[in-house]
Amino acid sequence: MITVFPAKSIITMNASMPSAEAVAVRDGKIIETGTLESLQPWLSKHDHEIDEQFKNSFIVPGLIDPHLHPSMAAVLLPTYFITAMEWKMPWGTTPATRSPTEYDERLKEALSKPTHGELFITWGHHNLWHGPISRSRLNSIDSKTPIVVWNRSFHEVCMNDAALELLEIKQEDVENATQIDFEKGRFYEIGLGYAIQKLNPYILAPEVFKEGLLKLKEVVHFGGQTTIADMAVGLFDFEAELNTQAALYENEDTPFRVELIAHATVMQKGNSVEQAEELIAKLPERNSHRLNFGKRVKLFTDGAFFSQVAQLMEPGYIDGHHGEWLSTPEQFEDNARVFWNKGYAIHVHCTGDLGLELAVDTLEKMQDERPRFNHGFTIEHFGLSTPEQIFRLSKLGANISANAYYVHELSDIYSNDSVGFERASSMARVGTSFREGITTTLHSDFTMAPAQPLMSMWVAVNRVNEKGNVMCEEERITPQQGLEAITINAARVLGLDHEIGSIRAGKKADFTVLQENPLEIDPLKIKDIEIKATVFEGKVFNIKTQ
Amino acid sequence: MIPVTVVAGYLGSGKTTLINKFLKEAESPIAVLVNDFGELNIDAELIDNQESLTLSLTNGCVCCKLSDDIGVSLESLKGKDITAVIIEASGISLPINIANYGLSWPGFSLKGILALADGQSIGSLLEDKFVGYTVKGQIEQADAILLNRSSGLSLEVLKGLNENIFLEEEVSNYTDLLSAKYYANHFIGDSPKEHASFQSSIFTSNKPIKRDDIKKYLLLNPNIQRAKGWVCEENGIYSLLQMTPSGCNFSPSSFKSQTRIVFIYTGKLSPFEF
Repeated sequence: MITVFPAKSIITMNASMPSAEAVAVRDGKIIETGTLESLQPWLSKHDHEIDEQFKNSFIVPGLIDPHLHPSMAAVLLPTYFITAMEWKMPWGTTPATRSPTEYDERLKEALSKPTHGELFITWGHHNLWHGPISRSRLNSIDSKTPIVVWNRSFHEVCMNDAALELLEIKQEDVENATQIDFEKGRFYEIGLGYAIQKLNPYILAPEVFKEGLLKLKEVVHFGGQTTIADMAVGLFDFEAELNTQAALYENEDTPFRVELIAHATVMQKGNSVEQAEELIAKLPERNSHRLNFGKRVKLFTDGAFFSQVAQLMEPGYIDGHHGEWLSTPEQFEDNARVFWNKGYAIHVHCTGDLGLELAVDTLEKMQDERPRFNHGFTIEHFGLSTPEQIFRLSKLGANISANAYYVHELSDIYSNDSVGFERASSMARVGTSFREGITTTLHSDFTMAPAQPLMSMWVAVNRVNEKGNVMCEEERITPQQGLEAITINAARVLGLDHEIGSIRAGKKADFTVLQENPLEIDPLKIKDIEIKATVFEGKVFNIKTQ
Repeated sequence: MIPVTVVAGYLGSGKTTLINKFLKEAESPIAVLVNDFGELNIDAELIDNQESLTLSLTNGCVCCKLSDDIGVSLESLKGKDITAVIIEASGISLPINIANYGLSWPGFSLKGILALADGQSIGSLLEDKFVGYTVKGQIEQADAILLNRSSGLSLEVLKGLNENIFLEEEVSNYTDLLSAKYYANHFIGDSPKEHASFQSSIFTSNKPIKRDDIKKYLLLNPNIQRAKGWVCEENGIYSLLQMTPSGCNFSPSSFKSQTRIVFIYTGKLSPFEF
């Protein structure tokens, strides 16, 4: 049976037939796109139905987020959000909480509901908005329920007496520790590591982790995504992450697939990189319909962009501090060589321009030693870069997967407090990367940015930061390029472009159904386009509007 | 509390060789946390028991492979019969970051940071475009430097970064490298084991400190011979404090560290009241 979906317009992202009026689907795959008339040769010879539910909507290829972290999301999503910014979630919108009094009220309100477990964890506290947090402040709100307040930055927690007691943290055990303020119930940096270790049985408990992954399932659907990539399986526990995803996602009511990318260091675990490669080579044996390992691997150069430990070239950070390497450049090169020579697509986490320089230098060396074409070497995150590096990346055949959201959240504060205006305004330099002809995609790195490809596209097209200023308009991309980034280019970067990423005969019937045309709407409204439904391999999954 | 010594240095600086010596010459049971067992060359007859992440030796020492989280590794040592911990910092670590575990993990205290340098390669490493800054930080942040395969040139370059250098051939007993007194004596230019009257004390704090309070304290305690360390001042300013009998100097530091000052003194010190 063929199902035909007519639409106001189908934006195919297939340059040979950029738009269509109807798409015919059979057994989860696209038979043909065109008009009801042009589809007749198929329809006159086969059983078919016309499904008109999207006739007033726009259909685009199923959106793809080529880099997020399900396991990190699974830890965060079960916590109770009290945040300074509004967070839109499928189960409701967390309103902006902007003062200490409001914060305490929200917390009291949450605690009065009987739904929380033995330990109540809330995420999103930020000193600037919510005032300093302490044990006594929490005790005065509720001294009986164990409460843990997890800071927006993830770098600090604060607990009340009941939580300290539940976790068996005693004064005599921690009094010499300089990053634990027992009096105030605060644990930060290394002290946080101590607290997390005590919290792990609660936050990584199998049932909590499952709850988090089920919530992520809703988040992914809500964002209109039909394919996501777990860009480093094993951040906490490889087997648990893989098995839980398989148990929860490999079923008919999951409207997306997960491309899984192995984390070389996790697979290595003290063995040689050659042994890690052998293990990674066997992972596709565990593939199932929705969960797939390809010939890809994740490597890292420098530290996190949000924490200001990206490695920068001269002139560095305004305050003179330096970033961090995640392995020695020698180890990075040795690892890259093993995977390069075995024919892998290598995805490299690089955030600063010096981190990027190491990736580019290494790719250049690999190309000298053993040239490859269409090799899929991909720069992940792409915080700071120079035009000259992008030129080299283009000549070397690399792809770029950028977290454009950096521009929105960080460009203002990084202009003033981190690297200065010139470099902060040109972070995620995707305009240049399109001009150099590089296959460029956008990702959320969720939980670093909302798992909403239309939000990533909106940032890359407008480059409007949280203060409302346009940052480096020369690096903006067109709506057409933005939509390419979150569909066909994302598929190319994941090596899945033969199956997904555009709407044409033979590909999988993955669609995202939008209320507005993202190529014609005022670009500033792209992020607010209502997503009505997704179609995953021909099956319709409606999205409830709030 | 169990004292922690950090052994830092870039790839090829000789950390594994030194750790092997510590294990062999240990007079009382110690624990070493290493990045990789593979390079440790422990005789089979010395190994008592091996689990996946822990080697127990017949002399009571234990050798643990560091997990990503150093705190977890330290926690696993609690309750074991050991007198000291040595952490092998990875080649790209700034030792201050590792030393913070000695300062901050409940049940442990920081003894000191020992950095290793290979005289043949240190010059070019300090100029390297990717790791030059890290290697410089390893040398500057250490309490003492052990220089292997020295050349006159490298000694001079290193002295500009850290005066407290000793050469491999000066070391007769490797376990001395774990004693604060060794740092103390070496600090003021005398040979180890003499001047046993010198003592050292480490002051740490997680709160901002006023420069003037430190100066006052030094004036109140004229028996302090030397002081060196990082100070986190108010307004987020970080400085390097160096005090010798000829004076006290604060210079700006790009390392963001908690306050940690080593005092070398004779007799008794008044309590720290910063």
